[in-house]
Amino acid sequence: MLDEEEEEIPVPINNDLERRIADTFEVFDHAGNKTVDSREIATIVRALGCCPTEAEVQEILMAVEMPEAPGSVHLSNFLPHICEIITEHKYQPASPAQLLEAFQILDSDGRGYLTKEHISTLMTQDGEPFTQDELDEMLEIAIDPHTQTVPYEYYINQLMLD
Amino acid sequence: MGASKSKECSCLRRRRRSTAYEEETSSSRSIEIEIQQNDRPLRTRARKTKSKCFSHMIPKKILCCLKKDDMSMTKIERTIKATLLIQKWYRRYMARLEVRRRYTWTIFQSIEYAGEQDQVKLYNFFNALLTHIPNTTNRTSESSTASRNSSIEDLDMKFEDESDDCEDELLDSSERDHKFKLEFPLDEEQLKKLIEIYRRRRHYRLHPRYVAEILKESIIKLKRLPNLNLASTAISKQITVCGDLHGKLDDLLVIFHKNGLPSPENPYVFNGDFVDRGKRGIEVLLVLLSCMLVYPGGVFLNRGNHEDNIMNSRYGFIREMQSKYRRNSEKLLKLIEGVYRWLPLGTIVNNKVLIVHGGISDTTDLDLIRSLDRGKYSSLLRPPISDSSAPGAELIDKVEWKQVFDILWSDPQIGNGCIPNALRGAGTYFGPDVTKNFLEKNRMLYIVRSHECKSEGYEVIHDNSVITIFSASNYYELGSNKGAYLKLVGPQLDTHFVQYMAAAGRAKRLTFHQRIGLVEASAIRELHGQIMTNKTKLEREFVKADPELTGYITVSEWCQVMEKATGLGLPWRMLKEKLVTVDPESQQVTYASTFENISSHKINSVQGASTVVETLYRNKGNLEAIFRIIDKDNSGFISLDEFSEACNLIKEHMPNPITQEQLVEICRLMDINKDGLVDLNEFLETFRLVDPESRQLTNTQDDSPPTSPTKTTDVQINAQDSPPASPRQVQLTEKHSPQESSECNNTTNSPTTRNTLLQSPVLSSRRGD
Repeated sequence: MLDEEEEEIPVPINNDLERRIADTFEVFDHAGNKTVDSREIATIVRALGCCPTEAEVQEILMAVEMPEAPGSVHLSNFLPHICEIITEHKYQPASPAQLLEAFQILDSDGRGYLTKEHISTLMTQDGEPFTQDELDEMLEIAIDPHTQTVPYEYYINQLMLD
Repeated sequence: MGASKSKECSCLRRRRRSTAYEEETSSSRSIEIEIQQNDRPLRTRARKTKSKCFSHMIPKKILCCLKKDDMSMTKIERTIKATLLIQKWYRRYMARLEVRRRYTWTIFQSIEYAGEQDQVKLYNFFNALLTHIPNTTNRTSESSTASRNSSIEDLDMKFEDESDDCEDELLDSSERDHKFKLEFPLDEEQLKKLIEIYRRRRHYRLHPRYVAEILKESIIKLKRLPNLNLASTAISKQITVCGDLHGKLDDLLVIFHKNGLPSPENPYVFNGDFVDRGKRGIEVLLVLLSCMLVYPGGVFLNRGNHEDNIMNSRYGFIREMQSKYRRNSEKLLKLIEGVYRWLPLGTIVNNKVLIVHGGISDTTDLDLIRSLDRGKYSSLLRPPISDSSAPGAELIDKVEWKQVFDILWSDPQIGNGCIPNALRGAGTYFGPDVTKNFLEKNRMLYIVRSHECKSEGYEVIHDNSVITIFSASNYYELGSNKGAYLKLVGPQLDTHFVQYMAAAGRAKRLTFHQRIGLVEASAIRELHGQIMTNKTKLEREFVKADPELTGYITVSEWCQVMEKATGLGLPWRMLKEKLVTVDPESQQVTYASTFENISSHKINSVQGASTVVETLYRNKGNLEAIFRIIDKDNSGFISLDEFSEACNLIKEHMPNPITQEQLVEICRLMDINKDGLVDLNEFLETFRLVDPESRQLTNTQDDSPPTSPTKTTDVQINAQDSPPASPRQVQLTEKHSPQESSECNNTTNSPTTRNTLLQSPVLSSRRGD
């Protein structure tokens, strides 16, 4: 419910891209006042097609968060920044080929799969580590139950189906 | 575009608040806070904290990797880069799933609340009819309706006689079911046996004789209780609060398994909504009542808004009873109505915590609530009618009625203030200031309520002073949400939440992705139901947007039409891919495709195609009363004049008065044999026509005349004709021969018939057209 005392900051929507961004934003705007919790920004940005690292998400957050209201982000700040990011093709997601290449780098022996232990170690210790939950979720889809390994080419195909 | 009507993101709220509570657990008795493996919000929170720790370390490392070209990178650096690529790709994948989960939730919630709103609006209309037409008192005290509200002693006797007659029949047919005997008074041994047999046999039906006995005993016990239960943790040191169960026996069994059976040392408060929606409502109700009978000091039951026979007729419990207890459902339901009337309206623990089903309002007065006669409210959606009222006198104490409504139907809101709950159609939205004032005035610590489904099973808001507890997991669909129960511990009544998700029997463990897909498919099916319900209106609006009939409209236009016609504030733009075809080149919507690929068989009749009108039919007793009220000269027929006069009389008492055009439409729809008069059977038949479930039901129902054999009328009404100037000139454009007044009609199940009738103005009026 809109608090009458707050000023309604107008957010002009000029084109389809802005419309798309505003719509996704709105799904997370529970109070109906064009603000979302900062912790949702990562999800929103990724849902819009961008693929930033966690560190890059922090950069975005610093740019869009309101200093006078920490913890929340208003659409008026969010929209222009994200528009720019999208039109500049920043944080592009990897193509399937690039993903495959990445897995192949990890698979130094060229076996075509990664063992559960190996991928678990990698994902939870290197890069921007997964939490246990994230790892479990990934393994649920990626692990072949019979061999307890991740046949990564198959996994990539699975993910792409979505 | 309407914003989502849900108040706060439950996952976030839980994140913030639960930290506080988790810290408190260390000092008190060790009670686990169980967190499921695939707990989305927790993961997000943890991820954030972790990344905050690493973020100063990693960026440099990664940036270095990214800046160097491949040749000069060491193997380690390449590995890290690859890992990072996979991780961020994976996080994006999960984010997209999360968005789908969110809007799926919004769909379910919007449809659910819109449905409740319909319900209440229609009942406002008919209640107004009942209360404001002259001579109501004399009429209704004579009609069959009054007998439903008559004293419980009369009800008891009536039931006993009838059930004796039927017993022999039943013995033959349910031999197998009736090995299990109950002896009264119930004891713990029998209670455990009952629970065990319900647990092991999913389709076990307790003999109606025992059901009736449990219900009767319960009424006697409940009647002695005050309007507000008084619970104390002086001896037990703790108390458990459960929220909505909605016929989910599995969840109740999980709770008993984790937390033990109720007893004076392990007391429970069950906060309403025991039935409707879930398949085992009667089992849940009987188990809870039996627990109360065996441990009167250990079980406190609160009434919920679904402990209401009118809600039950729409949301599935009546259907459940009719299918499980074919010959005895009517009698048993009368007893259940008695239980509902005498359920207390709330529980107060240690004089410090109020537990009610819905919430409060700025006018909630506990003294008033304590002193009113709760037994007269059979259904909250229908004002109580007292036999002894003088003619013309106000039959209901509106102030008192509102008090009860508010505590059973209200929802908290984020902003301050207290406004009528437009979404549900009843009760209020109450803000943190209302909560604060109430708690101060009543010298209480906090309020526990239920009524709203939360994805984590609970939610804490209003600065830790309002807790929502919801105990039916998988409420909308398998995987849609967790259930939870709340333990209040120690002298300060510290709060501890335990979450769970009941496995649905044969369901294998699903990945998050699979669960999302399943829940989403279910939500889309619901939406399809809503779309078909509003088909004519949608078509009309589409044509308005596309006067030249090119077949295309813009995406924006499509979104606007969808929102306007269905009345649902959903993120239509995000959903369009799932609902309609978009031409890739022009980016325009082929709006006709909105209705494609929707199989009418698959419409979920509980939430989707279920209409206000079909609900009315199931409440036959009330319809008859209404008919007799309108039929002033007692001729057995309502002339269209009489009907319109009745509606005119109540116009000023209705929230959205019916227009002349709508009145005429209703009249047209009711006069089936085109003679300008509506008799009782036509009146009832009108409502039955649109009810797909009653058609299925009647194949298995008992032998009451109006509902068998199953037939429907082939009525072709062209809803786009302009209405004639005066009701007297109404002629139905019918394409079949005149009917006899009762059952011998042709069976049709054509979607056109159904949809045209569903476009009746009574239904459109609820959207405020």
